[in-house]
Amino acid sequence: MIELPILDAARGQSNTPVESTDPQAPKFWRSVGELEGDPSLAALASKEFLPGAMDAPDGTSRRQFIQLMGASMALAGLTGCRKPYEKILPYARKPEEVVEGIAMHYATAMPFRGSLSALLVESHEGRPTKVEGNPEHPISRGASGVFEQASILNLYDPDRSAHVLEGGADSDWGSFVAAVSAIPTTARVGVLIEENSSPTIAALRQRVAERFGNLKWVSYNSVGENTQEAGYASAFGRAVRPQFNFSQARVVVSLDADFLAATDVNFVRNTREFAEGRSVDDHTPLRHYVFEPTYSTTGGMADHRARVKPSEVALVAAALASRLGVGGAPPAAAPSGSAAGLVEAAAADLRSAGANGVVVAGDTQPAEVHAICAAINSMLGAVGNTVTLFDTAGVEMARRDSVADLVDDVKSGQTDVLVMIGVNPAYDLAGDSDLLTALEGLGTTIHVGQHVDETATLSSWHVPQTHYLESWGDGRAYDGTLSVVQPLIAPLYSDCKSAIEVLSALAMDGGTTGYDQVLRTWESVLPGNVAQGWRRVLHDGYLPDSGFSTLTNVGVTGPLRLPASSGAGASGLEVQIRLDTRLLDGSFANNAWLQETPELATKIVWDNVAVMNRATAEQIGVTNTLKAGKYYADEVRLSLDGRAVTLPAWIAPGIADDTIILSTGHGRSIVGTREKRRKIFFDLDEYTDIYGAGPIANGVGKNVAALRSASFSNQLSGVAAEAVPARYHIVTTQDHGALDLPSLQAEIESREPVRMATLSAYQNHEAHFEHAPLAGATEPWDEYPALWEDRHPSREEFFKDNPYYENQWGMTIDLNTCTGCNACSVACQAENNIQVVGKEEVGHGREMSWIRLDRYFVTEGRDIDEAMMVVQPLPCQHCENAPCESVCPVAATVHSPDGTNQMIYNRCIGTRYCANNCPYKVRRFNFYNWTKTLPTSVQMAQNPNVTVRFRGVMEKCSYCIQRVRKVNIQANLEDRSIRDGEVVTACQQACPANAITFGDISDPTSAIAAKKESDRRYELLEELSVKPRTSYLGRIQNPNPSLA
Amino acid sequence: MSTDTGTASGTHPALQEEPLVAGNLSFHDITELVSRHTEKRTPLAWFGAFAIANILLLTLLVCIAYLFWNGTGVWGLNNPVGWGYAIVNFVFWVGIGHAGTLISAILFLFRQQWRTAINRSAEAMTLFAVMCALIFPGIHVGRVWAAYWMLPIPNQMEMWPQFKSPLLWDVFAVSVYFTVSLVFWYVGLVPDLATLRDRATKKLRRRVLGFFSMGWTGANRHWRNYEKAYLLLAALATPLVLSVHSVVSFDFAVSIVPGWHTTIFPPYFVAGAIFSGFAMVVTLLVIARKVYGIEDIITISHLEKMNIIILLTGTMVGFAYITEFFIAWYSGVQYEVFAFKNRAFGPYAWAYWTMMSCNLIFPQLFWIKRLRRSIPFMFVLSILVNIGMWFERFVITVTSLHRDYLPSSWDYYTPTAIDVLTFVGSFGLFFTMFLLFLRFVPMVAISEVKAVLPEADPHFYGHGDGQTGAHPPTLTPTVD
Repeated sequence: MIELPILDAARGQSNTPVESTDPQAPKFWRSVGELEGDPSLAALASKEFLPGAMDAPDGTSRRQFIQLMGASMALAGLTGCRKPYEKILPYARKPEEVVEGIAMHYATAMPFRGSLSALLVESHEGRPTKVEGNPEHPISRGASGVFEQASILNLYDPDRSAHVLEGGADSDWGSFVAAVSAIPTTARVGVLIEENSSPTIAALRQRVAERFGNLKWVSYNSVGENTQEAGYASAFGRAVRPQFNFSQARVVVSLDADFLAATDVNFVRNTREFAEGRSVDDHTPLRHYVFEPTYSTTGGMADHRARVKPSEVALVAAALASRLGVGGAPPAAAPSGSAAGLVEAAAADLRSAGANGVVVAGDTQPAEVHAICAAINSMLGAVGNTVTLFDTAGVEMARRDSVADLVDDVKSGQTDVLVMIGVNPAYDLAGDSDLLTALEGLGTTIHVGQHVDETATLSSWHVPQTHYLESWGDGRAYDGTLSVVQPLIAPLYSDCKSAIEVLSALAMDGGTTGYDQVLRTWESVLPGNVAQGWRRVLHDGYLPDSGFSTLTNVGVTGPLRLPASSGAGASGLEVQIRLDTRLLDGSFANNAWLQETPELATKIVWDNVAVMNRATAEQIGVTNTLKAGKYYADEVRLSLDGRAVTLPAWIAPGIADDTIILSTGHGRSIVGTREKRRKIFFDLDEYTDIYGAGPIANGVGKNVAALRSASFSNQLSGVAAEAVPARYHIVTTQDHGALDLPSLQAEIESREPVRMATLSAYQNHEAHFEHAPLAGATEPWDEYPALWEDRHPSREEFFKDNPYYENQWGMTIDLNTCTGCNACSVACQAENNIQVVGKEEVGHGREMSWIRLDRYFVTEGRDIDEAMMVVQPLPCQHCENAPCESVCPVAATVHSPDGTNQMIYNRCIGTRYCANNCPYKVRRFNFYNWTKTLPTSVQMAQNPNVTVRFRGVMEKCSYCIQRVRKVNIQANLEDRSIRDGEVVTACQQACPANAITFGDISDPTSAIAAKKESDRRYELLEELSVKPRTSYLGRIQNPNPSLA
Repeated sequence: MSTDTGTASGTHPALQEEPLVAGNLSFHDITELVSRHTEKRTPLAWFGAFAIANILLLTLLVCIAYLFWNGTGVWGLNNPVGWGYAIVNFVFWVGIGHAGTLISAILFLFRQQWRTAINRSAEAMTLFAVMCALIFPGIHVGRVWAAYWMLPIPNQMEMWPQFKSPLLWDVFAVSVYFTVSLVFWYVGLVPDLATLRDRATKKLRRRVLGFFSMGWTGANRHWRNYEKAYLLLAALATPLVLSVHSVVSFDFAVSIVPGWHTTIFPPYFVAGAIFSGFAMVVTLLVIARKVYGIEDIITISHLEKMNIIILLTGTMVGFAYITEFFIAWYSGVQYEVFAFKNRAFGPYAWAYWTMMSCNLIFPQLFWIKRLRRSIPFMFVLSILVNIGMWFERFVITVTSLHRDYLPSSWDYYTPTAIDVLTFVGSFGLFFTMFLLFLRFVPMVAISEVKAVLPEADPHFYGHGDGQTGAHPPTLTPTVD
């Protein structure tokens, strides 16, 4: 220890000469005073300067002043080293019901394809951030699909139109109202309005009709019409809407039906019902026969599947009808190939299932096929059991004929004013060049839409339409249950008006607000006390028992015919145009989440392709090549009657021969209004800026509507296909570098990521889902010693003392009911602020999805085209012996006391070692700062409860830890344990099949504990002894024993 | 007074062996041969080489700046392949940095006197290679500004690094290796720096060299302390030679990735490191001995001995490659089997067969004595070996990651231009440092070479005058 010399206090403080004790010493003095030891002189001498020369007269000295100033300057300067900060302004007057940081939930509903999806929307301080299904609603029951989940991003779409445009120039609402008011009442007015179920719009239709005597009001559906309802209507001779109760079904036959895809109007209920019907836990599962031209979501859930050309599906329907002895079944040629045998088996199965059988056809099939299905279902006695028929008399439906009629009027100049609300005919009918010319030449065309889109640019007026979360509205769910669409936020752009408000202006209703219009309608709808009932409806999100009445005693009256197109393409190429399962008809095209959601079967993102099987591709002479891990697809030019579209050809298994599948929704051209992002010259970040080049929908894929003529026909025959000497880079999220898949197929299948068994094997207890230990091993997998196990935190006392230790979270995913609809993936994206990286970066393998849907084909020795498609959602498995944790050099990924594997973003330095060591490869790295270029409006869509990750850190599924902690806090406040089912992860909440179960595995009474007891349970890669907390429940196939 | 050593030696054991230094050089000749290159005017050719090396170094710096500004995405990494060129380069450079310390420490302890001609430059090469290597773990992390969190620095969060992570062991292993190698190299330099100091004609040069030679006078006590220190450092460095690459191999071996999780890695990596390090020494010295006219000190026999080590370690590495295949099959683990099948026949088969031919097949030609004494042949082969060893690390890192357990996540890794330029640029740093070394530091350990001359043997009486060597100087002193 260093000891400092102690200073002599006297010497240190006084300047008085030291008195020498030695009298002999010479003594020097400067003045007499000094010599005499005058104390006042000594005091003076202790200071260098005279009094006042050095010290400021008041308390603060010059030195102190400089010190303080210097320190404060330094402190002020230090803040300059930090990132720029922004002031957060608190509420000056806090709204009574708002508690900052606590989200509010409001019930509302999303209009979707002529129906309404009931929702519960989360709002943070007035900013809606997350959409869920309304758990009370009979259709939704809390689940939702990709479109509901992604619709929140449509609200914050930076390319939404913000201004009323007149002839392309900025105008305002006042001028628009004036212009509309000036339309003479004698004008021939056409209203083309998005198919909807709103009673208020129906009421407004009356008022508009009162004003214009010559009104043509046409409901519009971007695929023409709902062929199912049209077919059922023609079969039963009245307006009916079928709803399928798959939970009651023993045998389901799907004829090109995709009732499990989010594009289906009743998708959520269909999926839930189908999952119940397929469940093996409490009853014998249904058997599912699928006849379809391409792998759809529904086809992935098949027990037996046959590839059938689109035009031959009608033949299958007719063959089924005739085998079952349906009266009036049209005579038809037998379907070709493997379908013929399957028809026999399906017919026999249906006959024995009787009322528990059901036949469903798809939107893509013409009404005649649906009519045959209706007759079969009726003959089986399924009506009232597996099929519920709703009486939809008086419901305005889109009709192909009436749209065609109005289009003819427009072309022939029979219309003076055309009002197009929420529709985009210039895109859907892009092949009809006459219509486009006529639209442009029409006197007054009014377009109301969320984008300055293809139709808006041809219109004389454009009014920006509100998002459903910004405006009042109403409508009916699939079963007719009435709901109010309640806004959660004022329109982001003041010019935005809802359809109701525009129609109200058109009807010259004196500036009535949307709220008043809706309330006016509901005054007559609500029973009892209107004010009370209104509040009730707003709270619950729906009006109970307001659904359609069901029909039971209806007989098939209409004639059964084969559609004109059936079998026409028996030889020659057929093209089928399907609604895109992500972009729908293009109305979701500017939604980055959906653009980056992989298509289920092809896993392609940011593009649409012409899908065909290998044989067809060889005929046309196109190939897909793999170069350095990137796919290059030859382009194919499809032409029909002078119309043509050129797009990349994609070879996929399971497609019918001589069939090309196209999807809608791509090739949009939206006029962007956004200012270009300002950047400094050394910011080289174009490649991270997916929003940088204007609307993201532009330039993505091709509009396949250009191929068809004025009709909405989605089955085209006689199409000529020729290879174009051009190659196009296609980006997928799977199978990179595995075009040589056939050679690897055996290896992939032997790994058995998705484990399956037939029902008979399962019931006889011959099915083993857990892998047996290696031969010779004495202990089971989970008793294998693991590296660092003895030092595992879960063995430590402090870990067990933590209150979180009480709950041990786990998850199961039921592969028997998961359909691969992508809802979980998009829900996760919305909940966890997962960024979109764009086509280029997905091509580099840098997509960020936390839960991905792995799709595998199983051939089991069959031809690759007869392969079975299975899907496996893959979030972080939350291993108990997490291999990621032990390799992180900075302890940025650690185990929580409640048993989850956590990612500590602000500790992560990004070595990526954890991702390398993750056997499931579920970790995602922020290769760039993906959020740097987010437009301000998109930033508003971020969930404030989840950190937005910066560049250079790893991220992954957290089991929605923010939701867990929210419940932890609530339970702690109420001084109780967490109840089972109280924590719901985002993926689980969205899942319409209820395939995901989450909960506390340490609670033996919990739902998760029961699921973990299932004999179908297995852990993926259990042989690595990483002990995942996520388990899978194996898939049970129920094949027809007679076909085995 | 010229003595014919041939006849006079007759029975002396030191003369029965092939001399380590050719050309009948005296002590002074050796001093002269080595020292003059640090004393003469800088040749234009040196400036030319230095300019090229600097351009490459600049490329490295620009690539790093670009990386820092934009993020790790400028490299070709993707989701399954989280490590690419940076880690490959790191292991490559660390491997090269093995020869020097092996030559100076292990061969010293084994009394391999031929090491004296090459140990100085090999050690310098080691230091520069490790410097190159140390760049990569630093820049490859996503948040470079927080990379120092890997170091155990006390902080207010009481956060320590995670000591189970092999990356952390790397930090310690490589930094200790670098420190010890640097000290070892510097200690060996002291007598030679004193020689240069004594020959210096300019004051500043004398001052600087005087500072670095730490007052060396050549006194008996200095020599005694020096040799003790050198021996101790050699003993300290020896385990490090083996440990550093073993620890680097743990980065892979401790993981659970099929193709990485292999217990053979530590010895296999060490053998591979020595293999590549010796190849690099051969590449450099074949040029340096010619350019600097020290072919008598670094003789063809020295090179041949190194080539024998290359042959030996190359065969060991090849044996390891084949063992891996055997073990993969023998384990019965399908992921292991697939990982190795995929290496040899998958999309990166070209890299695998480049590695196999450069590392196992080509070095077998060194069984032929004529070839292992052929300068052009060994030059080409030494370069091929380093190409092969770079590909070995590429094969291990990339082919294992790109197709691991779940086929859904399989992908392909393609490096970007930045990846390639960063690697090329790292040679800029290496050559810049090496050229500075050649210019300012005696490239051969003068005192150690002198010590292995027959004349240095205390029992060499009767064969010289015991003062200046067996012969009078054959070189005239340079005049400055």
